[in-house]
Amino acid sequence: MTTLSISRSRFSFSPGFLAWLSFLGLCIVIGLISAYEVFTKGLIVTNMSNTVPWGLWITIDLSSIALGAGAFTLSAIIYLFRIKALERIARLAILVGIVGYTSALLTLVMDIGRPDRFWHPWVYWNVHSVLWEITWCITLYLGVLIIEFAPVISDLPLFKRWPIIPRMGHLVHRAAPILALAGLLISLLHQSSLGATYGIIKARPIWFKPSMPIMFIISAVAVGPALTMGIAFIIEWVTGRKTVPHKVLRTIARFSGLALLVYTYIKFWDLAAVTYYGSTPGSNQALFVLNQYTPYGFGFWVGEIVIGIVIPVILFLIPRFNRNPINLVIGSLFAAVGIVVNRWIVTVSGLIVPLDYSPGVEFQLDPGVYTPSLVEWGIAVGVLGYALLLFTLAIRFLPIFKNGEIRSSG
Amino acid sequence: MSKKKTRVKVNLTRRDFFTVAATAAGSAVAAQLVTTGSLSPFSQLKIAQVTGEETSRHAPGEYHWGMVINLEKCIGCEYCLRACSAVNDVAPDKPWNIVVEDRTESGRKFFFSRPCLHCQHAPCVEVCPVQATYVRDDGIVIMDYDRCIGCRYCEVACPFDARKFNWEEREDENAFVPTWGVPEVERRSRGVVEKCTFCVHRIDSALQKGLLPGEQVEATPACVNACPVGARTFGDMNNPDSTISHILNENPTLQLREELGTNGSVYYIPPREGI
Repeated sequence: MTTLSISRSRFSFSPGFLAWLSFLGLCIVIGLISAYEVFTKGLIVTNMSNTVPWGLWITIDLSSIALGAGAFTLSAIIYLFRIKALERIARLAILVGIVGYTSALLTLVMDIGRPDRFWHPWVYWNVHSVLWEITWCITLYLGVLIIEFAPVISDLPLFKRWPIIPRMGHLVHRAAPILALAGLLISLLHQSSLGATYGIIKARPIWFKPSMPIMFIISAVAVGPALTMGIAFIIEWVTGRKTVPHKVLRTIARFSGLALLVYTYIKFWDLAAVTYYGSTPGSNQALFVLNQYTPYGFGFWVGEIVIGIVIPVILFLIPRFNRNPINLVIGSLFAAVGIVVNRWIVTVSGLIVPLDYSPGVEFQLDPGVYTPSLVEWGIAVGVLGYALLLFTLAIRFLPIFKNGEIRSSG
Repeated sequence: MSKKKTRVKVNLTRRDFFTVAATAAGSAVAAQLVTTGSLSPFSQLKIAQVTGEETSRHAPGEYHWGMVINLEKCIGCEYCLRACSAVNDVAPDKPWNIVVEDRTESGRKFFFSRPCLHCQHAPCVEVCPVQATYVRDDGIVIMDYDRCIGCRYCEVACPFDARKFNWEEREDENAFVPTWGVPEVERRSRGVVEKCTFCVHRIDSALQKGLLPGEQVEATPACVNACPVGARTFGDMNNPDSTISHILNENPTLQLREELGTNGSVYYIPPREGI
């Protein structure tokens, strides 16, 4: 009788859980309605224009890929540097990666003008294009993530009937170092190429700089693990079960804090080089326009520096603060917000400044003003709903925090 | 226990890593060959489709089509814009040609117009993830509307704002038809990027008929024909006897944003007193 009640309580739905699921369902319905609008009417329903052809959706792509970076960073630390203590968080990190990357791909399919041709980059190659390389890396890396995640699925009691499946899962788990290496290489490539997407555009003064790819990858390495750490705490609070030892999570927080400092260092020199003295013709004018038409300075200093860097660094690195899980969760969420603000500023500000390529043109082109339309927000809500639903179901039904334990018992 | 595990992992790492790497590299090469490379059953069809059989008769690089725009002559009538919009059936809110007014330092009014510059090192071509846009042998930068996925990276990368995206399926009446010409190409579908083509359809069919673009009207871009003051000249810059070569030799000309090194095929003769 006891076993019966246990197995029943495991799959029962508490009112709170049901309310949460219906909230997520509502988000996804909003997303589906918006997607229907986009697919039937075209991208005209967005507020993007020929002056600002990229907007909120590209920001979501960039952010969710950066926030999924915990997967490759932590896998590399665990399996290549052989820090066994962190192994308990490996599966969660990979789950965060899968959620982030699939969200990015979903948004990307909405964003391209011809979703029916999404497969073209795989068939028609332009090896000069960073976007081509990114498409390949993202799909390859998603494959790596899914293989890395396979043991979690094969460990399900469901597959006990066919012992071949868990055995294959364990075999895959033994290949974890290879997968971690592949993941590391592919991620180093595309995480920085996402920055290069902007950094190589010589025509736009606000984007063109060699620091762009480096800032992108370092910020991703810093914030990805931090978000995974924050999620581990939140899961612990919601489910009431111990997930990952707090010592491990504190270590990750300290690592993220240090990585954020490295990021700050490069950001500082970048800022200094652009605004050191006099006027770098394009950039100075561009900054002037940006400050006139957008809250650029506020977004940078408050959103990126204070919320995204200063507060998380203090909470992650100072022992008095990082002993308290609440501070670590706040720090990781703030750091994530900082990343989103950074990717938004990078994407939109480069486009808002009008191109100035010849006499007369500066009076012809107005600064592009862009605020996302309702449909764009709808897609954002839908993607968020999808991401949270995937999380909820995985946490609920999959053995996410049992890495190592099952292997030693079996 | 943990030591044992570690040993197994090390053994697997090296050999399997090489196997995986070799397999990945092999399949990458194979995929390239089979899809777009020499082994593809469609490669010949694709080449015929994008280059047109007419041009393949000529040696590659035989022509280099270019344009000279004389800002001293231009009167800002926008005839080029209208003829272009009619012939290429361009949407009114995103013309391929733009005409703007500016003043020289001494305050004299002049007009500046701009088609696509057809850069020989075109940023749009470099960044396109699917090679939907490319520089032809004859210097023309062209779009493959059947391949474009609509990511708009080319639009973001173009230094001259020469590319426009089709945000919706067009159902508008073209107000410039038939006064300024009749459409010679079909409308672009929703979700692809479009741009000025130097009226490539005229050039290709004219060469087949033995006409010379830049000399005969039916072989020359619509904007050049429509200009009432002869501010635009079109022709083969590789041919030293063509009109455009003479103009380029006899006048001081400039290209836009030369510092980027994109090397456009459109040259400007500045107003006599300078800009």
